Amino acid sequence: MKEKYRLKDWQELPLGGVVAEGGNSADYETGTWRTSRPVWVEENCINCLNCWVFCPEDAFLLKDGVTKKGTPRKEIKSINYYHCKGCGLCARECPVNKKGKKIAIDYVKEEH
Amino acid sequence: MSKIVAITGAGAMSECMRQINPDVVPAFPITPSTQVIEDFSQFVADGKVDTEMITVESEHSAMSACIGAAAAGGRVMTATSSAGMALMWEMLHIAASMRQPVVMSLINRALSAPINIHADHSDSMGARDAGWIQLYAENNQEAYDNLIMAPKIAEHMDVRLPIMVCMDGFIISHCVQTMQLEDDNKVKEFIGEFESTYPVLDTQHPATWGALDLQDYYMEHKRAQHMAMKNAKDVIEKVSTEFANIFGRKYELFESYRLDDAERVIIAINSVCGEIKEVIDERREAGDKVGLLKIRSFRPFPYEEIAQALEGVKIVTVLDRSESMGAYGPLFVEIRAALFDEPEKPMVYNRIFGLGGRELFMSDIHDIFEENKTYLETGKVEKRFDYLKVRGG
Repeated sequence: MKEKYRLKDWQELPLGGVVAEGGNSADYETGTWRTSRPVWVEENCINCLNCWVFCPEDAFLLKDGVTKKGTPRKEIKSINYYHCKGCGLCARECPVNKKGKKIAIDYVKEEH
Repeated sequence: MSKIVAITGAGAMSECMRQINPDVVPAFPITPSTQVIEDFSQFVADGKVDTEMITVESEHSAMSACIGAAAAGGRVMTATSSAGMALMWEMLHIAASMRQPVVMSLINRALSAPINIHADHSDSMGARDAGWIQLYAENNQEAYDNLIMAPKIAEHMDVRLPIMVCMDGFIISHCVQTMQLEDDNKVKEFIGEFESTYPVLDTQHPATWGALDLQDYYMEHKRAQHMAMKNAKDVIEKVSTEFANIFGRKYELFESYRLDDAERVIIAINSVCGEIKEVIDERREAGDKVGLLKIRSFRPFPYEEIAQALEGVKIVTVLDRSESMGAYGPLFVEIRAALFDEPEKPMVYNRIFGLGGRELFMSDIHDIFEENKTYLETGKVEKRFDYLKVRGG
């Protein structure tokens, strides 16, 4: 997780609203925008990575794992709440959720 | 070599542009600024400058190209008037907010309708909140001198704001006056090399220009811009002193003409000040204590300095050559604001004159001094706001 993004004073800003470096959008905290949050339920997850594919903020973090047969694969590690805006796409696109018997990504109201 | 020449105001602007030799000049012709670019394009064609001249399809494009070329890392100049600058409107604000030190010769002309090509200040006064530095000039010499100083003021690292150098259309832009044309090399040396900030063409240091700026940062950017404009006041004074040391002509934020012991004062902008000075000289001969305060820098506006200069003055007539329908004239509003905190305020009133180029003769200026004499004697400003020289009263 990046160090918490600090809003700068006007004296510290580069001239004319320039963004003076590349790739710094990762530093920008969009997690404060959430009104609801996805909660990953690990024991019900089948690691299909649909949530990772659909997430617009790249907020699903992956780790290395193996299938039951021992084939290497990527698995879900956690949700990065620094970037997750709480849009709920992951919970909607989750095939486990869609079957309706279990919940692999719960979607709950954000508590502030 | 420095020499005295007979030249029009617009011609003086293009000579100055030749001496500055900017990297890029995007422009679209509009009366009365046309001659500035016409003469300058001849310099480009004759190889007297290295400038990349861009003939664009509109003024909106002209200012867009100015901003792009400045962001790319070039020194940029242009010229326009009236409706031309009105079409630049959106981009004027962007040039200022993106802190591009674009230099513009603005030949003041009335806005339509009915269509009119002659001098008044409705173009530049309308743009007073666009974030541009505005310098005004009484004659060719002052306009030329202001344009020499303009890049140095605009490009100063404490400022980095665009600047418009204004003069009255036709009255100054198209009339031949004699003036001192300075030596090319001395002008170049005075201005120095252009220093760019975050140039777009520097691919080793990529930067994003004009990114989305929301509730969390927009106000900080505006605050920084406000500071730059405040700094501009000191920088204008500093550059003007440097200019005086080299070229011998000294300019302040405003000119005080026979103001020291004056009781009745006119405050005005641009060419009309020439006639006002003549009238003041005549009246001073007869012992009448009258004076003139001529605005040079309207943005930034020197509130404290003006209040100080008007100390002891009993009545002030503010002449506005533009209208802010339903309000007082723009110069009057500033002058009243400047005086409000003074313990002993002079009487102040506002007259609109010269819209669409209508002449104000010396006899009319005598009338103004007669009127404010009556106001002072009776202790009452009969009309706070009025038009001068309009049929039907």
